[in-house]
Amino acid sequence: MNALHLLKRWETVLAGLLVAEIALFGSMNPAFFAPSTLLYSTSDFIHIGITALALTLVIITGGIDLSVGSVMGLSAITLGLLWTRGVDIWIASIAALAVGALVGGLNSLAIHISKVNPLVITLGSGFLFGGTALVLSGLAGATGYEGISGFDPAFVGLANIEIVGVPLPLALFLVATIGFMALLHRTRFGRYIYLIGQNPRAAVYSGVPVFRTLTIAYALTGTMAALSGLIMASYFGSARSDFGATALMPAITAVVLGGTSIYGGSGTILGTALAALLVGYLQSGLQMVGVSSHVSSALSGALLVVVVALRSLTEMGHVYYLHRRVLKKVGSKQQ
Amino acid sequence: MIIRFLQCHREASVALIILALFAGLGLVDPTYLSVDTFLLVYGNSLILFVVAVGATMVMATHGLDVSIGSIMGLAAAIAGILMNHHYGVAVSIGAALLAGLACGLFNGVLVALLRVSAIVATLGTLGLYRGFVHLLTGGSWIEGLPEGFKALTHERYFGLSSFAWAVLVLLIVSHAFLRWTKFGRSMFAVGDNREGARLIGIRVGWVQLVAFALNGVLAAFAGVVFASQIGFIPNTAGTGMEMRAIASSVLGGVSLLGGTGTVLGAALGAFFMTSIDSVLVLLRLEAYWNDIIAGAILLIVLITDGKIRETVDSLLRYQKYRKFLDPESGSASAAGPHAGVPSDAVLTLTSSEVQK
Amino acid sequence: MTESMPAGPSVPLIEAKAIWKFFGGIPVLKGIDLTLQPGQVHALLGGNGAGKSTLMKIIAGLYRVDRGELFVRGAAMNHLSPVTSSELGIYLVPQEPLLFPSLSVEENVLMHVPGNRKELRTRLLRLIQEVGASLQLSTLAGQLEVADQQMVEILRGLIRQARILILDEPTSALTPREVGKLFERIRALTAQGVGIFFISHKLGEIRTIADTVSILRDGKIVLAGPPRSYSDAEIVHAMTQVEGKSAFEVDGVRPPPNLGREVLRVERLCGEGFADISFSLRAGEVLGLAGVVGSGRTELAETVYGIRPLARGHIFVDGEAVATSSPRHSLDHGIVYLPENRQLSGLFIDAPLVWNASSLVLYREPAWLDLAAETERFRRQIDLLGIVCSSPSQSLHTLSGGNQQKILLAKCLAAEPKVLILDEPTRGVDVAVRADIYRLIDTLAADGLAILLISSDHEEVQRLCHRVLVMDHGTTGGMLEGAAITVGSIARLAFGLTAARETAR
Repeated sequence: MNALHLLKRWETVLAGLLVAEIALFGSMNPAFFAPSTLLYSTSDFIHIGITALALTLVIITGGIDLSVGSVMGLSAITLGLLWTRGVDIWIASIAALAVGALVGGLNSLAIHISKVNPLVITLGSGFLFGGTALVLSGLAGATGYEGISGFDPAFVGLANIEIVGVPLPLALFLVATIGFMALLHRTRFGRYIYLIGQNPRAAVYSGVPVFRTLTIAYALTGTMAALSGLIMASYFGSARSDFGATALMPAITAVVLGGTSIYGGSGTILGTALAALLVGYLQSGLQMVGVSSHVSSALSGALLVVVVALRSLTEMGHVYYLHRRVLKKVGSKQQ
Repeated sequence: MIIRFLQCHREASVALIILALFAGLGLVDPTYLSVDTFLLVYGNSLILFVVAVGATMVMATHGLDVSIGSIMGLAAAIAGILMNHHYGVAVSIGAALLAGLACGLFNGVLVALLRVSAIVATLGTLGLYRGFVHLLTGGSWIEGLPEGFKALTHERYFGLSSFAWAVLVLLIVSHAFLRWTKFGRSMFAVGDNREGARLIGIRVGWVQLVAFALNGVLAAFAGVVFASQIGFIPNTAGTGMEMRAIASSVLGGVSLLGGTGTVLGAALGAFFMTSIDSVLVLLRLEAYWNDIIAGAILLIVLITDGKIRETVDSLLRYQKYRKFLDPESGSASAAGPHAGVPSDAVLTLTSSEVQK
Repeated sequence: MTESMPAGPSVPLIEAKAIWKFFGGIPVLKGIDLTLQPGQVHALLGGNGAGKSTLMKIIAGLYRVDRGELFVRGAAMNHLSPVTSSELGIYLVPQEPLLFPSLSVEENVLMHVPGNRKELRTRLLRLIQEVGASLQLSTLAGQLEVADQQMVEILRGLIRQARILILDEPTSALTPREVGKLFERIRALTAQGVGIFFISHKLGEIRTIADTVSILRDGKIVLAGPPRSYSDAEIVHAMTQVEGKSAFEVDGVRPPPNLGREVLRVERLCGEGFADISFSLRAGEVLGLAGVVGSGRTELAETVYGIRPLARGHIFVDGEAVATSSPRHSLDHGIVYLPENRQLSGLFIDAPLVWNASSLVLYREPAWLDLAAETERFRRQIDLLGIVCSSPSQSLHTLSGGNQQKILLAKCLAAEPKVLILDEPTRGVDVAVRADIYRLIDTLAADGLAILLISSDHEEVQRLCHRVLVMDHGTTGGMLEGAAITVGSIARLAFGLTAARETAR
């Protein structure tokens, strides 16, 4: 019974797909199996996973944050700007994270004040934060696509530090996964997140502090996006305002593929984490077997389409089946 | 009163913002205020106009399409490849539009028939269609487009290029289509209240499917215009367009919740988004100010809008309950609506009275 | 299509034979037989959840028939869709207006009506005059008051030249003058052979306009015929009687009150939908709040609970004045509210049972949840309330309506209330669960809980309450106490019948 239950879980399917994917790429190119490849290829996409973890919270509440991509750039530029002004790199990093938390909180405040759909508000704030990053980098005298570089070597080296054999970005992702799992599944705050997403009206009737919970969720998302920006700055050795430009859609994809309902109310951190790895390895694996990175993005798009369409069809079929069963039961009772 | 007017006619408030922008420009250098400047901004807005029209249709039905950038890229690539294989310009453009139709239909099937949430479905096709671009082009840029094709945006007739005229016609036709035709209005009905639309016999799924299909065609057209304007086709053609299209429409008063908006409003929104760019250039400011201005104005408009709507709502709510809340009229009209009940029906019965 | 059908006075417009409908496995209609003749006004009467609206939505093609046969003008039409039903000339004016809030009145009425725009507009303007409405064609429907929204819905039905018109409580927000005008239009339509289903709660209206009446209760038609052949008392009785043995008989009588100190007192409360309400509630007492739907009972309860703003008046708990500004604040003072609509505002339908049961006391838990203790507490609640479930982690929607309601009760009781406000606690539950809930309320009162019971079921009020406040259009309509609480006395006050004269007799 329990084993069956585990098998039916979406996370199990994702984990199976992940293993199959790694096995497949490994059989096509044995170099893929090398631990260093498996570990270090994550550095190209792990920032998406880190952001997606926190984004999961927001999407479970029934909201969304389209500004995460811009926040990545904003955080990196904040770091760069402070560094060029002579601020210690670690203090600058903390400031960048604080900026992430602040703009996340601003998102929540704007949604609360205007009572406008989060999708629209964060679309607008995405432009605002991205624009701010551009202006800041312009004011710092950085040309658009070179960005601000020349960081403290200790900071640049961070991306290649290993912790128990795991590169720091991946280690951060793993720690964040465990942290967010605990937060979402074991704490009062996490429970509030689910309840708000399930039925915001009933949440109000149950005395759930809706605004406070949402603000924390958005601020956490901003912070994690800022962290992703810092990781990229360290990995690339420079800070650019357009760091997150292509990260938004993959991050949402990871959340949705991970089983979180875009309408809110359900989803798990583990699902998001596995989906982020699944999509990320798909990209890097395809590159290793010689498929262009752009075709691989098509495949992850196709993966998303197929998965959501199948899930929708299964659900519709399930409802239909249940209804037929009820009718059949009643029919036999009548005769 | 003015606030009320601006709320009902969002087009007017965007028009005001645009006027303010150009007034600022005029203050700096009056010579910029010319027909040429206007035509320049119009020419730069063509692509955004086209995708904003599509976004308006989809958003009217309470949908959302984030895959248009990829459809643009795909359509541009198809047109480019065909033209470089010496097919005629018209044939190539036709094929590109057909490809857009197919993409849009696929989106529509996912959303209207398989009931996948619009943002999720188009998020998937965003990657999918972009991948097709790379499969077709092999990852390289398409260059050497025929001069006849480039001329469509460069040769002017009566001040406007062929595509500029086409877009003008498109704007007028689509505005009229969404404003006055039965089918156009049913798009808004579906978005405004899906159940209500179903009740009065509108084929809800079909309307949604058509909106996505038309949006696909329009995105493809935007891709063709893009290719013609810049003269070559990079892999990334159209990337990020979805956000600009949605932002333009929202700024012009199209609601993401469906049911409201006009093509005129969306077009003004698009015009504004582009004019920031052009005005910044004319003011010799760095172009990097563009997004921050667009974002700030978008947010200000949205938040003000939300606040006004909230005020109107609480006013209506007060009206509804006024007879209970207002001490003056309270006692007088509380008994008003049930005038048919004689006043002696209001009585107190206690057990002692009944026993008597 | 219409021409080929056999038409004539002998062919009924609608003929339903043994229609069944299920929602989530629960039967809502249990074999309905019904006919509508041309030129007939067929009234449908019944309590909430009796199945009237479901039946009408089937005829309008919004729901499918699960079992049985439906004939429209003699042709079998078991698979109606809204599109075909509107092509067949059927139009439903729903109870809750399904308007397009962002579109104008004109567009709302004329949307999807075939014909020339200009002509239709003229006809609409004439129609607005004929029904005596004051509507601006350009106003947005979302900005109309409820009464005007209802009028727009009615206009929609009238302008379509439907052959079969379904009016689901069309008069609930109209003034008497507007009702009169509407009835004139209805008579004009029936003279042209249009058949009309007319759903209403108001007996007077039904006597005025209907040729025949069918009374639904619990998914079945329990009484049918011309309205004049039944007395008001017979009709009210048919509507409110509980299936089989009445709950009253099943569970004995209400225990005598074991009154303690005064726990709740409200003085001259005014708020959204009620004015000048005063009452006090003592420990161990069950105070009923009766009245028709829309008389301000739920609004009063939600105001006391802090969901709606309080305009004027005072609320005292244990003699201490409290400002009810938010549910959290009320919960802290021991006021707990069980909402009327459990799916909309009470429960988290896809969440596990245990989450639902603990949702009201979550804020009292430590930040790091003790899941084991939570489950343990939930198991005790299962035993206490007799909840039938297989696992604490199964999601709520897998339970039957009655067990869902018990989960909602468990959620409220977990907050250890001093004052428990129950809003329609037995709506949509079966007889067995109803009996369980009655016994629970008895026990809770005996244990010294102060209970405010809102109910539209008069037998329930009679069975459970020590005192009853009957609300009438937001004001105190009357207070009944002890033996004076009978189904009849409540119904007379609640249905706005001439109660005073009858008691005088």
